Amino acid sequence: MPELTAAYRQTAGSSRAAMGDGSAEGLVFERISHTYVAANGSTPVLDDVSFSVGPGQVACVVGPSGCGKSTLLSLAAGLMRPTSGVTRWRGKPVEPGTNPDLGMAFQQPGLFPWMTVRQNVAVGLTTRGAARSDARRQADEMLATVGLTGFGDAYPNQLSGGMAQRVGIARALALRPKLLLMDEPFASVDAFTRLKLQAEFKALLKLDRPTVLFVTHDVSEAILLGDIIVVMSARPAKVEKIIPIERGDRDRAGPGYARKMTEALRALGVETDLSHD
Amino acid sequence: MTGRLSVSHVALALLGVAIVIAVWQGTIAWYGLARIVLPTPFEVASTLAHLFASRSFWHDVLVSLREFLLGYAIGGVLGVLVGTILGERPTARMTVGPVIEALRFIVPFAWIPLTVLWFGTSLTGKVVLVAYAVFFVMVVTTARSIVTVDPTLTRVGTMLGMGPAGIALKVHLRAAAPGIASGAKAAAALGWIAVVAAEYIGASAGLGVMITNASMSLATATVIAGMIVIGIIGATVSWLVGRTTAAWLNY
Repeated sequence: MPELTAAYRQTAGSSRAAMGDGSAEGLVFERISHTYVAANGSTPVLDDVSFSVGPGQVACVVGPSGCGKSTLLSLAAGLMRPTSGVTRWRGKPVEPGTNPDLGMAFQQPGLFPWMTVRQNVAVGLTTRGAARSDARRQADEMLATVGLTGFGDAYPNQLSGGMAQRVGIARALALRPKLLLMDEPFASVDAFTRLKLQAEFKALLKLDRPTVLFVTHDVSEAILLGDIIVVMSARPAKVEKIIPIERGDRDRAGPGYARKMTEALRALGVETDLSHD
Repeated sequence: MTGRLSVSHVALALLGVAIVIAVWQGTIAWYGLARIVLPTPFEVASTLAHLFASRSFWHDVLVSLREFLLGYAIGGVLGVLVGTILGERPTARMTVGPVIEALRFIVPFAWIPLTVLWFGTSLTGKVVLVAYAVFFVMVVTTARSIVTVDPTLTRVGTMLGMGPAGIALKVHLRAAAPGIASGAKAAAALGWIAVVAAEYIGASAGLGVMITNASMSLATATVIAGMIVIGIIGATVSWLVGRTTAAWLNY
């Protein structure tokens, strides 16, 4: 199965490349610098950041708090323009406004409390022009996929944190996004639920193989989910290191996992060997 | 206000009423008060029964309710409208905010002399006064509720493909609904008080007029009966607003 998947990805990639419309490029950050200007001074957050995420690739961005990880997401989502540099999606500069390829999940589920779970998942589809009945059916399918069959009529305040986060992810995936942006979506649930959600999410990505930019502060999460890990430095952030992850590295008991973990933590400036104390 | 009314709830509420009546009756007996100063609960009750049978009483009730409802609707709609603009636009907040802050501390009752001067004893004066009272409550609660909407919901709206207008109406205003509803309940109480107060001073009909007339002819039982009616109607209106919005905000 994993071999099949890799083969599928390659053919998918090459067929996209064959289209020659820049879609083979995926998401590209090119020499991005960004400074927030406020009344009490300006804060540079990104300093000449360049990296790219290939089509169908999952890039996990890790870095110290406040290093501008979320700014990268906002740039990719077209919620703001960088002070300098270009963000490109499928060969075209990202312009402020709605990107129909985009799906996003947030640190808080951000469900509309006045809507049922089903309506929360369906609302993006109807906003984008789907018929109500189609949206409803697709929402139910997506809820089944994330293991929430039977919760369609529940309201968000009746859900646990983990369930609400699943609905938030189902809402993003129901849009069948080509570009999926994840802003620490598992940071606010308990550790055990997080492990479950990570495994589920990994499986869900196989449905449509979106290009994913996944911001996290959890290195193990980045190794588990990412094809590459982009390690950022403290603010104003540069790209400290880009670490490729192989399939074998995701075995938590294996040597590859330990090696990548050490490599990422060193890049983050964290002391990794405390055994000599 | 929510949930089932248990027997003990009703019993306790009745006990509260009984205590008031007992203190009332006791005060009359203890001080030997004349009927003209403080009539007995029984006299007030029988006056209420007489009032309920009279056409002019119901006319007064309808006049007051009409003034209230018109003013409430106008002030409510304008208040939510302006509150939404203030909530959405920081520049509008900075421009109009201070004026509204200052005006809202000029209580409606301070305007009564002016409204009498401008509108006489007409319906318009009372409607303006109620609308004024309701408007400021609604502006402030609407703007505050919109400003405090969870910013993640705004980002979700953008992500789902909504434009600024869609986000303002379908996300912000909707998310602010519980806050606006509690404002609407408070505004109903204040608006009703404003009607009666305005009628005390300048009006040709209405519950306030009925009470002032009764007071001048020393019909104290009618005064108190009128006050009770005001209280009951006010509580009912407030309950109705709360009940209606609760049914709609049931999530």
